[in-house]
Amino acid sequence: MRCQRCHKEASIHLTERVKGQRRELHLCPGCAQKAGLALPDSPPDLALDAVVQSLIVAHVGELVGELAERTCPDCGLKFMEFRAGGRLGCPRDYRVFAAGLLPLIQRFHGATRHVGKAARPADRAEERLRLRTQLREAIAREDYEEAARLRDQLRPEEIQA
Amino acid sequence: MTLDDLTKSSGEWLRGTGPESDIVMCSRIRLARNLADFPFTNRASRSEKTEIEANFRAALAHAHLELSYLDVHGLGSLDRQFLVERQIVSRELANSDGPRGVAISSQENVAIMVNEEDHLRVQYMLSGFRLPEVWESINHLDDQLEEQLAYAFSSELGYLTACPTNVGTGIRVGVMLHLPGLVQTKQIDKVFRALQKINLAVRGLYGEGSQASGDFYQISNQQTLGKSEPELIKILTDVVPQVLQYERNARQTLLTERRQHLHDQVSRAYGVLKTAQTISSEETMLLLSSVRMGINLGLIDDLSIATVNELFIQTQPAFLQKLRGSELGFEERNVERASYLRRRLSNGRQPPPH
Repeated sequence: MRCQRCHKEASIHLTERVKGQRRELHLCPGCAQKAGLALPDSPPDLALDAVVQSLIVAHVGELVGELAERTCPDCGLKFMEFRAGGRLGCPRDYRVFAAGLLPLIQRFHGATRHVGKAARPADRAEERLRLRTQLREAIAREDYEEAARLRDQLRPEEIQA
Repeated sequence: MTLDDLTKSSGEWLRGTGPESDIVMCSRIRLARNLADFPFTNRASRSEKTEIEANFRAALAHAHLELSYLDVHGLGSLDRQFLVERQIVSRELANSDGPRGVAISSQENVAIMVNEEDHLRVQYMLSGFRLPEVWESINHLDDQLEEQLAYAFSSELGYLTACPTNVGTGIRVGVMLHLPGLVQTKQIDKVFRALQKINLAVRGLYGEGSQASGDFYQISNQQTLGKSEPELIKILTDVVPQVLQYERNARQTLLTERRQHLHDQVSRAYGVLKTAQTISSEETMLLLSSVRMGINLGLIDDLSIATVNELFIQTQPAFLQKLRGSELGFEERNVERASYLRRRLSNGRQPPPH
């Protein structure tokens, strides 16, 4: 969209209501500054989401083909959806989308290897995650017999826990 | 513990005690944790969220942790806003949907959010500059929970989180600083830029995206992977004393070069807070900030830091409405706020009206 005053690229978009009339304003940073509408460039209020978003776009923006279409068999997340929303769907996504995630992680953290506190290995976690996926799918297709069977499989450990 | 009990007390982190508490309001660490065998919150079904909540509550009981669980899903919007104001839950948790809650300790040092962006967001806060102590406490708490719950963890990437910006240690180490000297001497931007260069984030009193208010700023790490928790804490414990020194120098400059002006500003601020009949939240924050600095510089001697710290939180909209016991419009809140301030500030050290 072009600036309404000088036709450069507009990056400030305002909607205001004056006496019930809706008015839209699209300005480039220069004209917005002149109109006293520019966002203050300080204090730099660091919205983390925006930073992440720009990193994601910068690093996986070019992705085409296989990775873009890849889907996690457990949570059903597509890598394209992560690119749009910035959130992963389940722990397994870190392996499923490793090729796309590791460059991003390297860029953000300057590292790809954990140092520090370690959790004990989770017993059968992957299997249980998969059972839950099957359970969701069974419920979705109203196969309650299968759902009950899957629930039983999931149950014993929860009681122990 | 009920929500109404909370209106009668205030968190330990507001006491104004601990090292450097003239500038450091509190030290806070949070850990992001997820259960290994569930999808992350944003992909979890309603019944899975209910199960996550149940698993967590069972873990609390088994670990004999003395925490009260508040079912945020069952709360009205005013009560949820009240918890946000108290720094017990995030805006995201307050405004999201579905089964979710928070477990808190009686002094409000501990707050564990359930079904936020991650299944668990474990938070520990102490007043003053005490990050190593906070780490020791939260690390122990995390161990107790981990004995009961299987966390999502990989040996390469550490604790697995819904957003890759938290992966690894899942730790956010932060301090909340009161920096009126740097604001008034217009050096604050310079300090922010220096902090951002070393990869630290600066945010306002109410977190991400919120405008800094009352001259309070939170400084925290952004990197969570590739360094251990003590290494990440050390970045803060190395840098914060430098910021404190800048703030002290700025206050000293104000005292020596503009003493009369400063004394006048502080006294007027105190006077308005003690006598106003209607006052907005923004003006209150601004004036309380002056008064807080005035106490620390010895310009006001009949008011405690703890009272001022509390008033930053207790003049927020939801608190006033909880106190009044009814919803109030904007104008009514301003009147209620002024009346509450007059009560708390009359004769200097009036205790809370309960």
